[in-house]
Amino acid sequence: MLCEICKKNVATTHIRSVINGVAKESHLCAECAAKQGVDTFTDNGLSGMLSSMFGDVMSLGSPSGGARCKCCGSTFSDIAETGKAGCPECYKTFYEEFLPYIKRVHGSVKHVGKIPGRSAEATAKEKGSNTLSDLKAELAKLVSEEKFEQAAQVRDKIREMEAQG
Amino acid sequence: MSCWYNMEAPDGDIAVSTRIRLARNINGYPFPARMSDAQRLEVNAKIKEAIIGSDSPAAKRLKYIDMKDVPENERLSMLERHIASREFVLNSDNKAIILSEDESVSIMIGEEDHIRIQIIMPGLQLEKAYEIAESIDDLLCERLDMAFDGTLGFITECPTNLGTGLRASVMLHLPVSESNGDIQKLSRSVNKIGYTVRGMYGEGSNAAGSLYQISNQVTLGISEKNAVDNLKIITGQLIQKERELQKKLDKIKTEDLCMRALGILKYARVLSSAELITLICRVKLGINTGVIKEDINTIKILIEGQPYMLMKTYGDMTEDERDISRAEMVRNALK
Repeated sequence: MLCEICKKNVATTHIRSVINGVAKESHLCAECAAKQGVDTFTDNGLSGMLSSMFGDVMSLGSPSGGARCKCCGSTFSDIAETGKAGCPECYKTFYEEFLPYIKRVHGSVKHVGKIPGRSAEATAKEKGSNTLSDLKAELAKLVSEEKFEQAAQVRDKIREMEAQG
Repeated sequence: MSCWYNMEAPDGDIAVSTRIRLARNINGYPFPARMSDAQRLEVNAKIKEAIIGSDSPAAKRLKYIDMKDVPENERLSMLERHIASREFVLNSDNKAIILSEDESVSIMIGEEDHIRIQIIMPGLQLEKAYEIAESIDDLLCERLDMAFDGTLGFITECPTNLGTGLRASVMLHLPVSESNGDIQKLSRSVNKIGYTVRGMYGEGSNAAGSLYQISNQVTLGISEKNAVDNLKIITGQLIQKERELQKKLDKIKTEDLCMRALGILKYARVLSSAELITLICRVKLGINTGVIKEDINTIKILIEGQPYMLMKTYGDMTEDERDISRAEMVRNALK
């Protein structure tokens, strides 16, 4: 498969993103991927698409109006432009604006991992595997371990959750 | 100095390295991109005190380094040893890094987030690497007011890292899967469960050396354990598949391909960076398939043959001079 930008080199970077519920796959060569801001340390290919995703959120109108973050002075349009928050406080100031966007990126807006001061294991045990992605992870694990009966139970749980939306 | 890539690599025939990264921030300061110089220095000092100033046994093996004290070639070579990011080494004003002696622990201060804890280990060692990252994180969480929200998890500059702030990745050497055309299929199937595949090296055509990095994309709504376990399962399957494919290779053709590569590396007088990557990875295939019996640390040669790694040792050179120096370094390593 050739890179979809330069159409010359072989595509070695494959990125899948979900924007507005629409999945889009991009296949780029290393050179074009680097130009798009994707390298091995950028962690994922989303950063280049960030502002366009925020753009959608912006068009819906901002509940906070032209408000500025008290800590760093950023407005939500500053954040939308770069795709990055100004300071930790921004997430509190613009919580409503951030939520739909975060949901698009992660498919979830509920942290289920480590809580500072407690080990990840303790947290996971306490919370159980309740989210969809946790269940899917568990399913993959059970299948690989060939524990099919338990896997079937988890699969049913996933179907139930998906049916509930 | 003994670096992380000199250590023993479990599943090292296919798995080249494992990386765990945690993104963390401190309350009360803007993210680094919007910090003043004074704030940067203040945050550096706080993080230094929290880690180096603690009486944790782990802290004794760590060293705080002000990036302004690091010469340019050394700084840029950190990228080639995979211990710091491109952005961090290119623009290192008022930044600092905390390193363990073997550099398997690197804590970047003032990168995109206030703190980026990174653990890199040879081979496939996801659980062990995560364990070390978590112990450093525990120390930070205990001693600093970390930016955290019950719903959004650890707060990061980029919303794509919210939640666990964890990026786990494994670099795999997949020459036969690649020539079989399996990489695109693989990339599509891992994408569906929130993981990404990308070529490691190469500035154009193919993923040079058939080195691919698999990493998780989603950080919110999935626990650290599941993110790491999932990656372990995915990479485990890929490793198995590649091993089976390597066993089925035509013996004489493989022998010819790998021995030619070894021959060039042993006797070449001029060697470009791209050529080294391709050839050393063929030698790796030769070792895996039993064609080459010599004990060669291919990943060490690959990393130490990178441009800034050479200049860090031998001083500034033009590209042509580097190609000569690289050939010499490789000849010596293969003696």
